[in-house]
Amino acid sequence: MTEASPGADGTAVRDVKVLNQYGIHARPAALLVKTASAFRADVMLEKDGVEVSAKSIMGLLTMEGHQGAKIRISARGDDAAAAVAALAELFEKKFFED
Amino acid sequence: MTLTVRRFLDAGRAALDLGLLQGEAHLDRAVREPALNRPGLALAGFLRYFAHRRIQVIGLAELTYLKGLAVDERAARLKAFFESGIPCIVLSRGIRPLPEMPALAESYGVPLLRTHQITGRFVQMAAVLIEELIAPRTRYQGTMIDINGIGTMIEGPPGVGKSETALSLIVRGYSLVADDLAELRRVSSGEILGTALDATRFHMEIRGLGIIHVPSLYGVTSVRREKRLDMIVRLERAMSAADEERTGLDAQTKDVLGVAVPFFRIAVVAGRDISNVVEAATLNFRLRQLGHDAAKELDQRLMQQLIAERPRTSD
Repeated sequence: MTEASPGADGTAVRDVKVLNQYGIHARPAALLVKTASAFRADVMLEKDGVEVSAKSIMGLLTMEGHQGAKIRISARGDDAAAAVAALAELFEKKFFED
Repeated sequence: MTLTVRRFLDAGRAALDLGLLQGEAHLDRAVREPALNRPGLALAGFLRYFAHRRIQVIGLAELTYLKGLAVDERAARLKAFFESGIPCIVLSRGIRPLPEMPALAESYGVPLLRTHQITGRFVQMAAVLIEELIAPRTRYQGTMIDINGIGTMIEGPPGVGKSETALSLIVRGYSLVADDLAELRRVSSGEILGTALDATRFHMEIRGLGIIHVPSLYGVTSVRREKRLDMIVRLERAMSAADEERTGLDAQTKDVLGVAVPFFRIAVVAGRDISNVVEAATLNFRLRQLGHDAAKELDQRLMQQLIAERPRTSD
């Protein structure tokens, strides 16, 4: 379900799906923000053409990331690939919820 | 902290009108059970279950009873009473000791105290005083402020801006309890009360200014003598993103004298007005006490929406 796009010039992209039952509510959002904030790269999440920073709780809460939603993770910066991998893992692990 | 007869007497001189009749040499006797006892039954000869570790209060009833006994009977009862290991005796209502008492008190090392208060009132007030004396206490490094009735301890490393944060809160009309060092004690209701140390009460040290007397500058409402501790806010300079609370869903507490006190950590960053954040934290705490948890309520509403939005058949 995910395909990694190899990034030129320090960008990385990966498509993921929201798997956990309750979607991106406060706890998963906090987990995403804390994880993303550990990287220097700018990390963004995009759904249906709307892009929000993965380092903003309020942004993530407004993105309507319900179960089954398709999300694109993108990052720009020297540790972009690692940031994308770390966030994608959270989606795959259902934010340790279900 | 052990309660000695001396501490009880010293604290009770003003508060309870206590005085020492005899036994100066024995004042360091420990009150092994910090409480009071009216020894009526013991003086009547029933010594089983006699609370002999407590402070013994002899009032008019005990005295009248003893006076009615035959002389040798009375001597025997009093001897048994004194040799049971009692820490001290308080004679209330200004009663004079019975003739046998001074010699017995001396030979068993029991100090004799006296108050002019009536017995019932003395017992009540002494119980309150004893509780004060034995309350677990500690000195706590931090600046304590009363913000809208919420006793807030601001702690953090030296130079992080505790006093400056407190000062801007005082300017906004909140009251200083203690700057930089507070004395905390746990009372029997399970609450923790904080107060300043006498030497520095109502003063603050502001870097670049020196020591200021807060009520002289900001008026009598800018200080408070004592306040219940409700929450602790720790200011931190460098804080990893992983440590910072982002949702407010996971309440943290810190153990103070065995009580779990709500605890918040705030990263101090240039350009952030910390006093605003501290004020908001106390307001939010108050809201939570009223039964509204903003973070939880938002999260529950969000989860309902997300459940409603997900496709019927999730693949």
